[in-house]
Amino acid sequence: MDGNEAQIEVRGLRKRFGAVTALDGMSFTVEPGQVTGFVGPNGAGKSTTMRILLGLDRAEEGSALIGGRPYRELRNPLLAVGALLDAAAVHPARRGRDHLLWLAHSHRLPARRVDEVIEQTGLGPAARRRAGGYSLGMRQRLGIAAALLGDPPVLLFDEPVNGLDPEGIRWMRGLLRSLAAQGRAVLVSSHLMSELEGTADHLVVIGRGRVLADTSVRELLAGASGDRVEVRTGEPDRDRAMTVLADAGATVAATGRGTLTVSGLDAQRVVALLGGAGVAFSGVAAHRATLEEAYMELTREAAEFAAGPSGPSGPSGPSGPASGEDRR
Amino acid sequence: MSGPGPGPGPGPGPGARAGARRLGTVHAEWTKLRTLTSTWWLLSAVVGLTVAAGVAVSGSLTAGACPVPAECHEDTVRIGLTGIWLGQGAVIVLAVLAVSGEYGTGTIRAALAAEPRRLRLLAAKALVVGALTAAAGAAAVAGALLAGRRVLAADGFPLPALTEGPVLRAAAGTVLYLVLTALLALGAGAALRDTATAVTAVLAVCYLLPLLAGLVSEPEWQERLLRLAPSTAGLAVQATANLDGLPIGPWPGLAVLTAWTAAALAAGAAVLCTRDV
Repeated sequence: MDGNEAQIEVRGLRKRFGAVTALDGMSFTVEPGQVTGFVGPNGAGKSTTMRILLGLDRAEEGSALIGGRPYRELRNPLLAVGALLDAAAVHPARRGRDHLLWLAHSHRLPARRVDEVIEQTGLGPAARRRAGGYSLGMRQRLGIAAALLGDPPVLLFDEPVNGLDPEGIRWMRGLLRSLAAQGRAVLVSSHLMSELEGTADHLVVIGRGRVLADTSVRELLAGASGDRVEVRTGEPDRDRAMTVLADAGATVAATGRGTLTVSGLDAQRVVALLGGAGVAFSGVAAHRATLEEAYMELTREAAEFAAGPSGPSGPSGPSGPASGEDRR
Repeated sequence: MSGPGPGPGPGPGPGARAGARRLGTVHAEWTKLRTLTSTWWLLSAVVGLTVAAGVAVSGSLTAGACPVPAECHEDTVRIGLTGIWLGQGAVIVLAVLAVSGEYGTGTIRAALAAEPRRLRLLAAKALVVGALTAAAGAAAVAGALLAGRRVLAADGFPLPALTEGPVLRAAAGTVLYLVLTALLALGAGAALRDTATAVTAVLAVCYLLPLLAGLVSEPEWQERLLRLAPSTAGLAVQATANLDGLPIGPWPGLAVLTAWTAAALAAGAAVLCTRDV
């Protein structure tokens, strides 16, 4: 097998649904041993990219390779890639265990393996019940169990925490981390950056069918014009505080009644400056950029474009046909 | 709730062999069908409806209408197998659901993830649905023939031996008819993807065309319709007497049905292989 088998390589994918361009030159790679977050608003092309990776949809241009091969050429695809696309995609009249069993049979995997993934995902006795009666959380676990069945080096999860309760989200995060720690390539899509905070090592941020940023989480946070300090101070001292801090080279903005937002100085320096000038204040708090803020900053441009010509053809519109949630 | 252990990976092992994989896809389709209770209800319906309707129709015949019972020229075998008209309905629903049910529930994506070569998936489905239909069809035909004979014998009808050529042709041909109808429905399910649409389309072709033929007043057109409709043409294979009076011969009739089936499967394969799912 040429190339690392635990690698995803997407090059120049283009795809249109009617008049809407779903993918417009999508390119990125996913490396083993880390969780790569695949982030963008609904309709940005996350699900379409994943469907193309799995050979379900055809791209008009470009290539989507897993371990150096297109999906359709994989000999034993479930041993190469595990995917959770849509947790609701199980037959409601079939028992959860039977759903896993037919997948196992397709690759001549023993029934023992089915019981292992049932154990691993905590599906437990629910596996003996019909999937139609499952909660969303149980469906997600069943979908994860199906993805893990072939013990694949590459995993694709489309919005895996969507609809999970807090305990389920915690479990999912731990699972994603440990899968990456085992050296697998893990691609996780989400339309909420906050869902990936503390989980993803690397981010591929997309909008309107193309990659906006392909960066490590650390770099993204560092690059965000993030570190600000909030100063609470009373009315009479506010103007003096602004003058003192501005003179020291900070950018100061009055962001609320009695609140100043200062950037360009750290909290310790702000306290020292205000104290030295005898300005009274009731609080100084450092404010670190969150992943969400860094992401918002990054996507503002794309979002503004999308919000402009609103209408059914807007690629980010909730009814955008490129959105995996809406298409079917 | 355990974290994922490294797991005793199944590894490539013997499963990596291509031949074993092909069997795997058939095995998976069999597991899929057998784990749905609806499959067993529908297969029971094939047998139950075919036998029950055969007995009812056979029982409605009276040898008293003939001057001497021994001179009755009724095609008793064909009459005993009339229930196929009901049984095929269940076969059609079963076969359509084997494909359209996957689109309806979204499991088609998992199926194609497990077997990305789409023609192979369709072939595996056809094999499993065909085999199940053949088994149920054989039971239905045997049951209907034996039960029908009992009823007719009690009425004093002369009955041909079960080992006679035309009787065997009718029996085997009817099983074949059901299998071909199942594959026709399977192809329609793959081509149309939606259960309601596909079931309606196949039922219309199998039931409405013959009905339409009955409404046509022009005898030439009527015969043409009966020769071209998959059900009436295909069921000519059930005839054991008065073969000259048939609109189409037993084997040519089955060939007409085969052409319909081939067309439906080709359409299904084309849609499956070219469209996104």
